This record gives sequence, C-alpha cells and structure tokens, in this order.
Amino acid sequence: MTLAVKDNICTASLPTTCSSAMLAGYTSPFDATVVELLRDEGAQIIGKANCDEFGMGSLNVNSIHGPVVNPFQPTDAYDVPLMAHEPRSAGGSSGGSAASVAARLCTAALGTDTGGSVRLPASYCGVVGLKPSYGLISRWGVVSFADSLDCVGVLARSVDTVKEVFDVISVYDARDPTAASPELRKRASSTAEPCLPKLFSSNTLDGLRIGVPQEYFPLELEPSITSSLRTIIRNLKDAGATIRPVSLPATQYALSAYYVIASAEASSNLARFDGIQYGLRVPPPAGASRSKPSNVYAHSRSSGFGREVRKRILLGTYALTADAFDNYFLQAQRVRAYIKADFNRVFRHPCVHLAHPESCLSADGVDVLLHPSAIRTAPRLAEKRECDTSSIDEYLQDVMTVPASLAGLPALSVPAGLGEDGWPVGMSVVGQWGTDQLVLQVGRVIEGIR
Amino acid sequence: MAKLVSDDLRLIVESPRKIERAVREDKRWPGWEVVVGIEVHAQVKSRRKLFSDALTSKPGEKPNSFVTCYDAALPGTLPSSLASAFDRKHYFYSDLPAGYQITQRYVPFAKGGHLDLSSSCDNLRVGITQIQLEQDTAKSIFDARRGITQVDLNRAGSGLVEIVSEPDMRSPEEAGNYVRTLQAMLRAVGASDGNMELGSLRCDVNVSVNKHGHPLGTRCEIKNLNSVKFMMIAITSEVFRHIDLLERGQTVPQETRGFDEVKAETFKLRSKEDSPDYRYIPDPNLPPLLLSPVYFQEYIDRVRRSMPELPRETRARLMSMGLTEQEAEVLMAVDAGREVRFDGEPAKGAVQYFDCLAQGRSAKAAVNWMIHELLGQLAARKETFSDNPVSVEQMGELVDMVQNGEMTGKSGKALLRHMVTSRSTASPSILARELGLLAISDDDGSLLKNWCLEAIEALPEEVQKVRDGNIKVMNRIMGKVMQLSGGRVKAGDVTQMLEVLLRKS
Repeated sequence: MTLAVKDNICTASLPTTCSSAMLAGYTSPFDATVVELLRDEGAQIIGKANCDEFGMGSLNVNSIHGPVVNPFQPTDAYDVPLMAHEPRSAGGSSGGSAASVAARLCTAALGTDTGGSVRLPASYCGVVGLKPSYGLISRWGVVSFADSLDCVGVLARSVDTVKEVFDVISVYDARDPTAASPELRKRASSTAEPCLPKLFSSNTLDGLRIGVPQEYFPLELEPSITSSLRTIIRNLKDAGATIRPVSLPATQYALSAYYVIASAEASSNLARFDGIQYGLRVPPPAGASRSKPSNVYAHSRSSGFGREVRKRILLGTYALTADAFDNYFLQAQRVRAYIKADFNRVFRHPCVHLAHPESCLSADGVDVLLHPSAIRTAPRLAEKRECDTSSIDEYLQDVMTVPASLAGLPALSVPAGLGEDGWPVGMSVVGQWGTDQLVLQVGRVIEGIR
Repeated sequence: MAKLVSDDLRLIVESPRKIERAVREDKRWPGWEVVVGIEVHAQVKSRRKLFSDALTSKPGEKPNSFVTCYDAALPGTLPSSLASAFDRKHYFYSDLPAGYQITQRYVPFAKGGHLDLSSSCDNLRVGITQIQLEQDTAKSIFDARRGITQVDLNRAGSGLVEIVSEPDMRSPEEAGNYVRTLQAMLRAVGASDGNMELGSLRCDVNVSVNKHGHPLGTRCEIKNLNSVKFMMIAITSEVFRHIDLLERGQTVPQETRGFDEVKAETFKLRSKEDSPDYRYIPDPNLPPLLLSPVYFQEYIDRVRRSMPELPRETRARLMSMGLTEQEAEVLMAVDAGREVRFDGEPAKGAVQYFDCLAQGRSAKAAVNWMIHELLGQLAARKETFSDNPVSVEQMGELVDMVQNGEMTGKSGKALLRHMVTSRSTASPSILARELGLLAISDDDGSLLKNWCLEAIEALPEEVQKVRDGNIKVMNRIMGKVMQLSGGRVKAGDVTQMLEVLLRKS
C-alpha cells in the first residue's frame, strides 16, 4: 500500500513543515505512532501532503507550498487538460491528502480533522474520508492544533480501503494521554455490534434507523446537494432502512463555539514556536526592544506564521484573557456540552463516557445520522481571492462538520453523486462514540448505491 | 475522555479570610498587626518528571542531559500522565519551552486543609487554601561576558508542589515556624526533601499590616525567598516599609517585590497593573480522570493505610513510650536529617532505629544509649547518624548485656566506642570477650576481695585517711579496684566489700 501523510504528522525520514514558514526545513526526530503502525504493516510512504498551515483552513489555500488544486475531472471536461481548467479548491485542511488519493498518486492518505479537515476535502475531491471517534487513534506525533478536537483521519477511494487503514491504526497508545482505553473501546463496540452482522452479511439495512437532522439544511446549502441527499435517502429506504427526522437544536451555536475553542487551544499550542530551539528565527532588528523575551520572540512569530494562523492566535489569546474567559471560552464549553447532550438524545446506542450511559437513551433512537458533508461543491480557487477580506464564508464551510468534532463522534464522508455543476457531493454518516465500524458499514452501503 | 464540566472552571474569588486573634502587642511595631500568608514551592522527590519519562536531575548535572522530546516541547509530543485535571498558565520566557506551564488552577490537588505548627506555644493552626501540582521550569543562565542566555532543560517538567496558606500568621517568627513545620511534614511523608539551600523548597510571602482592630491592609508579595532566615528578615523589613509609608499618610501600593539579601530589604519588581494575564486554560491533554466510586474508595484507603507517621504523631507516640519531650525532640531532630528517598520509599532514620531498639526493651534504656552514647560517640567523631555503623541488632545486644549484668555500663560504653571506631560487624558478645570486657563471674566474691585487698595494700595513706573519717578518699581506693579489675566490677559491690574489709582490719 502506498501512503501520503499530511505534513502536520511527524516523520523522521521526511520534513514536517505543517505548511508553515515557521517549520520550513524542520525534521522531527521521531515518527508519529500512526506512521510507525502503518510502516510496520508494510505501507510505503510516498511523501508528505500539503495542508492548510497547522491545519487551519477549509480550502487549503493557507500554505507556504501554495494552494492545493482539486484534481477532479468533471465528465463533460475529460478532453480539457487539467491546467486549462478553472482551478477549484481541494478543500482543507487535509487538501493534499484528499487530492493525492483522488489523483491516484497513492492508495490511501492520512489527514487530520479538527473541525472537518478530512471530511470537507473528501467531499470536494470525491473520495471517502473518515474522522474516527476522538481518542481511538493516537495523536502522538501529530502537531497539535486543538488537542481536544484533533483526530487523525483516513482518506481513500473506497470505504474498504479506509477501513483497512483504520483497523491498523485504531489501537491504544499509552503515549497519547487522551487515548481511549482498550476497555472503553470494547464497551463501545459491543453496544453497536448487535446490528453489525446483519449489515455485513447482506446489503440489506433491515432494522437500521437513520436520522436526518433538520438543522443541517442552512440557507447557504446548494439545492443540488439536497437532491443528492434525497436520492440517497430513497435508496436507503429501499434497502430496508427506516429514515427519521431528528432535531439537534444546539447545532446553531456549534460554529461559534468551535472557533472559540479551537482558536483558544491553538493560541496555547502554538506558543512553543518561539524561534529558540527549532524553527524559523528572525532576530530583532537593530534598535528593537529586547527587554522581554516576548519582544524578541515577536519577530520570529510575526514572520513565521501566516495571516490565518496569526488571526486565530489573536482570537484565541483574547478568548482566554481574564476579562473574556467567561463570556467566550466557558460559554463555548457550555455549548459543547449541549451539543453532546443533543447527540446522546437522538442515538439508540449509549455514550460509554457517561457515568450512567443508559439513563439518557430514547427508545426510538437512531443508529446513525445522515447529512450533507458540505454546503456546496468545491469552490473555485479564484473565489477565495475575491472574498479575502472576510473569511466568514470560509468558516461557513465547516458548519456541517464541526458538531461531530465538538462531540468527538465518528463521521465518514462518502461520495454521493455529482452536483449541478458536475463536481462531487459528499454525504456524512455520523454515529455514537466508538461505533466507527457501524458508520463504515453504512458508508459502504451508500457507496454501493451510486 | 472525561466530561468537562464548565461550571467547575469558574473561580470563586473570595476575599481573603482573616482569622481574628487576641491582640498581642509586638514591641517592634506597637499598635500594628502584621498579617502573613505564604506560598511554598517544593520539588517533588520523584525519580521521574511529572509528565515525561525523563529522570529528574540533581543540580550540577551535565546540562540538557535529562531531556525527552516532550520536555523540549518538540512539535507532536504529548504529556504522559495518570494524574488528573491540569491547567496551562501562559507566559513567554526562555526557561519555558512550551510557552506555558502545566499547573492546577481550577481543580487543585487538595483544598481547605490546615497545618498545626509544632513547638508553638499557642498551638497555632494555619489554614491551607490549596495544594497544587505543577511543572518546574528549565533554568536559564545569563552569561554577561558573552551577552547570551543559556538554557538548561534538565529541570524542565520536574514536579513541583505548591502549598498556599491562608493569611493566618501574625509575625515573622510564626512565618518561620510555619515553613519549618511544613518542611518537616514534607520530609516525613517523603514528598520532598525540602532543602532550601539547594533550592528544592522556595517561598513567596504575602505581607500586609493594619492597625489593631482594623481591616486588612494592602498586601505585597515578596518572591523567591530561599532560606527561613532571609524570609523572616524580608518580612520584618517589609513590615517597617509599610508602616513607614502609612505613618507618612501614604498608601501601600499592591506590588510584587524581590528581596536583596545584601541590603536586607525588598525592592519593587512590578505593580499590580503590570501583572501579566496568564490566560489559564484547562489542559485538553490532561482532562479530569474519572474513577469508579468503588475503585476510588479502595484507592483512598490504600493511600491512607500507607501514610507514614506525621511529625506531631511521632512526638506524641514517643512521649507515650516514656520519653521526655526533650528526648523526643532530639530523636526527631536527628531523624529530620535522614535522606528523603524517591517516590516515598521509606528511609531509615533515627526514630525508626529507636523503634527497633526499644522493641522488647526498656524505652528509657534504648533512648539513653542512643542519645547519650551512640550519638555522643558519632558527634565526637564529627559524624552524623547516617554514618552510624552499629546495626540495631548489635546495639540491642549491647544494651541487653549491660542490663543483664553480663557487662558493666562502663564496659558497654567502651565496647560501643570500639564498634563505632572499628566499624566492626561482629556481635557485641564476641567483641566483649575478645576485648576482655565481660563482667567477671565472681559468685563467691573472692576475686573482688582479692582486688580490694590489693588496693588497700597499695594505698596505705589513703586507707589511713578513710579510717580517720575522711570518706571522700574512699573514691581513690575504689578507683584502684576498678583499675585492677579492668572495670569489670560493679561500683556498689566494691563499696560494700571495701567497707567490710576496712572495718575488719
């Protein structure tokens, strides 16, 4: 198996730049656990994949290596050479990982997903992308963006390949303090197991309950994506699944909460890049103040970090100041708790993290949720430049993906046909924590529908 | 992954609680009341660092040789921990490679305790606000000649325990007593060796003054005091500075201050307005650890059972065994000098030695032999108790031999001196035989009689004086008998025999 590895995952044999000038030329002295596990299984690492700087971005345009161009070829343009296409974004932040899989440069790719960074590029590039349950895959060797959200994810052209890679790397690692214990993994998979054998034996979905959350249809959602979803739903019904509308009312606050939490953690995690031990060092110009270490560090940090990273560090720093902490950071944590509670209310399977998992179960709960992975197909790279003044649009790309990140749930984006413009549309299957195999299996059925 | 309860993160900021105590005029500052609270930072005596597998280092080791990738804050590293709920405190400094220190702000290790001060005539109890675990920093050394700062990461990430007291102390002396008591406590439980000279225990003190019966004054914090003596001088100097300001009609600005040991006065580091915003955040890599209630209870019980005896309990126990307060103090003072071992491993100290020695023997005899003879012999050789070559078994046998009359007290002392000097591991009975120190088996008293007669013959003048009624001279004759017998006869027996013989002739 050939493998591309996102450039924020440490490899001892290749540089790990996180697409940042700050780490240009930095090579880690160690391999990430996921790299070690896959290499032991015989995977061949063909290279490091471009990404948004430190994983911050949804279009993979924030990179010292330049933007990632989406390699998808619309059917009506097969005879047009790639360079003559109007380039579209591969999505971010794992854009290089999605593009290398879509362009058949490798069998599979490792990405990371903090708020949608695997699922969004998978959707835009027309490949499968899995963000597993938080804590299943070791983060040792993954350069932290926001530790409480960061997950290593897998991208490939089929659900089976994704599963093959996932099965190798989904093991407990003592070097990750947030790794789920083997006991917890067992308990979670046993809750979903009863419905698995039937799904595996045939492609029938008898007895499977699928929820469609009504909050996942924002005004900005392209109509052709809704029609793709309808097609999928119809086919799933035909295969025997029960489709049920569900409500996740806290969803409307998810995006704001996500950006506060992710930026706050990022401002903390990126404090180590000071130009002292490693990475870019820009000495203070003559006459500049050296009275405090921060005055000296500021020159390296201002030149080493790109615009988006600087913006998020400032945002996160503000959210953690004594005056803003309650209104921003704590408020966002409360929203996060509501979002988790929303999910726990609609699922048939208990959340094994809770002290009394069975207490909040609804009798008619669903096995998985189904919703579009993105509000649109891949945007043109030129569009990004036009709306450079406001990145709200870019942040909006994450509206469908951040709730599962905040709740730590497994989420799989599967190709689900093409949009009106002939570009790929992705659908997301989201399950209760630890039910990754169930999510993959439902994804496999959707994959077969195409 | 534990559930984060966001409402736990709201700090309840209470105004400092002040305990009211009976007005006690201090001659140094009549009319004024001094209020002191102390934050103690003690290095945890642990073989490994708090969140990495690196071994902890002693000062003076080769720089940057006790460092893992995590300690150096390389990208992609994560802390390893079984402990629960930590927070990050952010500031940029060259001795802080990650840009934040991991500490416990929101959910500390322990809250709301107290410490009863030892040897305090008022039985003073000082409230402990909280105890938290945190990472120590690296060390930056400024090389003025080359104009560069060098960073040594050996200490980075070692465990520190911070103990925050309530403002319950009312004088520099009480503050000193508090730190000494805490130091003894930390050593007793094996948490830290509490060595202020080597920097494994440092103090920050908060000082304020107010007129008797008035509310608390504005406090100033004096940072990084590394001896009890300097801390007491710093508090005294700070008290006079506050009183001087207030008496001149000025206010005391809230400040963080340093202490100049040469000038014996404090100096301003920064004012309250300049105090940094540390942007505390619960560490997402170290969330609360949830234990099942059953396991939790079992764990607590296990810890409780394995708790070593605290100094106050030791003192009470020793006195209940019949030791005087002074004897108990001497034993405990010697015990305090014992090595504190890693990770709470029990170390052998004077108290443990005494306990073994007193097992099945008279506590009084045991403590006498230990304090007066053994410690005396060691002190004469300028050695400490840790150099003691005499095992408890040897010491016990020696004490028994004297108690049983197999050896006189004098011989016992001579034998002990020999054992301390020669560091012999042989049993005292064998050594006593070799050295001819065993008491004479003299059932009919014929040997004693012969020595006495010999002495009487050798000292005719003295004998005459005794007969003339000068009893004091008797001692000289007794001394002769002792000399002839090699100290192997009991003084009482000698007196009796001499009296009989002198009366006879």
